[in-house]
Amino acid sequence: MTPATKSAASTTATSLTPLGVPLGRRVLDAGPVLALVLMVVVFSVISGRFLTVPNAGSIANQASILLVLAVGSTFVILLGGIDLSIEGVMATSSLVTVLLAHNDRNGLDLGYFAVLVGAAVGAVFGLVNGLLHTRMRIPSFMVTLGTGAIGIGIATVLFGGQPPRLLDDGLRAWGTERVAGFPRLLLIAVLVLALGYLIQRLTRIGRYILVIGGDEQIAKLSGVSVPRYKMYAFVLSGTASGLAGAMASTQLGVGDVQVGSGQMFATITAVVVGGTALTGGRGGVLQTLIGVLLISVLANGLILVGVNPSIQRSVQGVVIVLAIAATAWTQRHRLRVIK
Amino acid sequence: MMSTPTCRSRFRRRWAMRSRVGLACVGLVGLLAAGCSSASQDSAAQNKPANPKDLVLVQSIRSLSNPYHAEWAKGGEMFAASVGMPVQTLTDEGDSQRQLTQIKQVLASGKTVVLNADPNTTSDTQAIVRAVQDAGGFVVTQWNKPDGLTPAQVGNSWVAHIGFDGNTGGYQTAKALFGAMHNTGGIIALQGILDDVPAKERFNGLQKALTETPGVQMLDQQTAHWTRNEAFQVTQTLLAKHAGQVKGVWAANDDMALGAIEALRAVGLAGKTPIVGASDAVPEALQDIQAGDTGYVATVSTDAYWQGGAGLALAYQAATGKFNVATAAPGDRSFYGKEFLVTKENVADFIKTPTPADLAPDFANPLARNVGPLQ
Repeated sequence: MTPATKSAASTTATSLTPLGVPLGRRVLDAGPVLALVLMVVVFSVISGRFLTVPNAGSIANQASILLVLAVGSTFVILLGGIDLSIEGVMATSSLVTVLLAHNDRNGLDLGYFAVLVGAAVGAVFGLVNGLLHTRMRIPSFMVTLGTGAIGIGIATVLFGGQPPRLLDDGLRAWGTERVAGFPRLLLIAVLVLALGYLIQRLTRIGRYILVIGGDEQIAKLSGVSVPRYKMYAFVLSGTASGLAGAMASTQLGVGDVQVGSGQMFATITAVVVGGTALTGGRGGVLQTLIGVLLISVLANGLILVGVNPSIQRSVQGVVIVLAIAATAWTQRHRLRVIK
Repeated sequence: MMSTPTCRSRFRRRWAMRSRVGLACVGLVGLLAAGCSSASQDSAAQNKPANPKDLVLVQSIRSLSNPYHAEWAKGGEMFAASVGMPVQTLTDEGDSQRQLTQIKQVLASGKTVVLNADPNTTSDTQAIVRAVQDAGGFVVTQWNKPDGLTPAQVGNSWVAHIGFDGNTGGYQTAKALFGAMHNTGGIIALQGILDDVPAKERFNGLQKALTETPGVQMLDQQTAHWTRNEAFQVTQTLLAKHAGQVKGVWAANDDMALGAIEALRAVGLAGKTPIVGASDAVPEALQDIQAGDTGYVATVSTDAYWQGGAGLALAYQAATGKFNVATAAPGDRSFYGKEFLVTKENVADFIKTPTPADLAPDFANPLARNVGPLQ
């Protein structure tokens, strides 16, 4: 046996599982799940209230909107890009949705159609992001930061000094009512997750986004229309942000410019903590689900076990850094450039 | 080794670099000196009453995307209209650097600036008032101010600072809440940003009321960073944590109280659990207090229209010489403005938008609501 074949054989023997997936990678994928399980166990032991139906309902409620945002963002991050327009898109979509549904500002009453328009507004933002990024060749963080600010601006004009109230009882019920202890919004989030998973696994869009994120040059040389698929990713992310803005409005009962405050950081953290690499090409929506649960359980658990509010943010930061460090440990040799 | 050509040239380059840095420093010092001398000339010249034609009215606020600042801006516009001038509204969207840059740009326009500002954070106040002092303008600041700093220390350009005693608002709303709970049961408290002075003061007011009312216990207190969205999530978690025990909700401002109401609604408790917001008197809160079906008991109004209008009026009177800053009592340059507890009894007075005629007496005498010197 030549040295080369010997080493190849030993690699196969030590690091490949029967399914052909490298063992290191399996551990890597399991990291966030283990962290989540550990967190649930610790919180349940410390607080008797953690594993109750009302608390599970409140975690589900908080996770619903974040999950929709994060599923959309996953596609952009898989490309190696980033979408920082989340909060601005949510703001515009929130105002648009409420002003088109039955509200206290004008006579319109478009019902569920208003939510569709809210999501469509997000899609338009995504399209603009994609066009500017691919045609004008502006880095995605710059483009989306700008369009996010535009979104806040449009929302502020529509807001006009006072938040319009959402008076459509049917829409309000989606934000406030629970079915068997779980919020109705969770249903939408699960649908979005399923849709995201199907797009990622079964469509050309999902596969090509992964390829482009892995190595854009190779994708281009293989004849993939890189700009087109990048555009799809931004449209998916924008649509998700638009839908999330409408969802948040049904929850709060108003069209509010600040409806997405803090969500951008939470979304990107959830995607990355779940195991999708910021460099692109690795990860997916199921990993994002775990990331969203990690973030939501952490925020909920810290309040439940009574961590002092002054240091809660710091504790959250420490746990997130530890989780990322632990999950990326096996990958650190392969990372060539840290940006 | 040192004598090789490469090393020598490297040494020369480094020396040349150092001397360039040195020259730049000398230049910078020169510029600063020039800046200082022109600033002191300006400050010396500014005490003379200015011609209204040379004035420009400016208000600097966080944003127009919240009702409170939108009302502030309207108050400023009403005052400007009363003296037949336009007013420029600067919004910084919570960005301190942007606020200072915007103010400096207006100051650089060459006209005498009359400014009514809501500094973003405590540390921004000093930079803003010094910039106005250097340019020879007139500024009234509100809310945020470093503890030891007084307008007199900076100069006559800093006309006055208006604060509001959060202790009173926090205390009065807590008492109103406890009254609605018949002085028994557990409450949860939603705080603002923990290191904001108003957040601390309002919470102190709540704690004072709690010590006076032994029947009421605080089950939990968390920050929701002044926002509705976060208050919704935090309240949801707290309701799960203290299921069945929460008989009242105290929030440091209306936005958070309104978020908490939605969380109560989601578990079927809206209208059954009394709730108060310790500041802002936003229109939605006032409507809820009037309707009485959401459990909203009370809020506190600082009267944003008055803050926008009378603040600008005071700076304008200083600029035109009607208010003599140099001889004014310290208590008129650093004082608490009047706050009003709003409950079902008096809510109707606060729901209607004031007319310019309503505010005219306060424009004529902007110090009428001075309730005492700042502590």
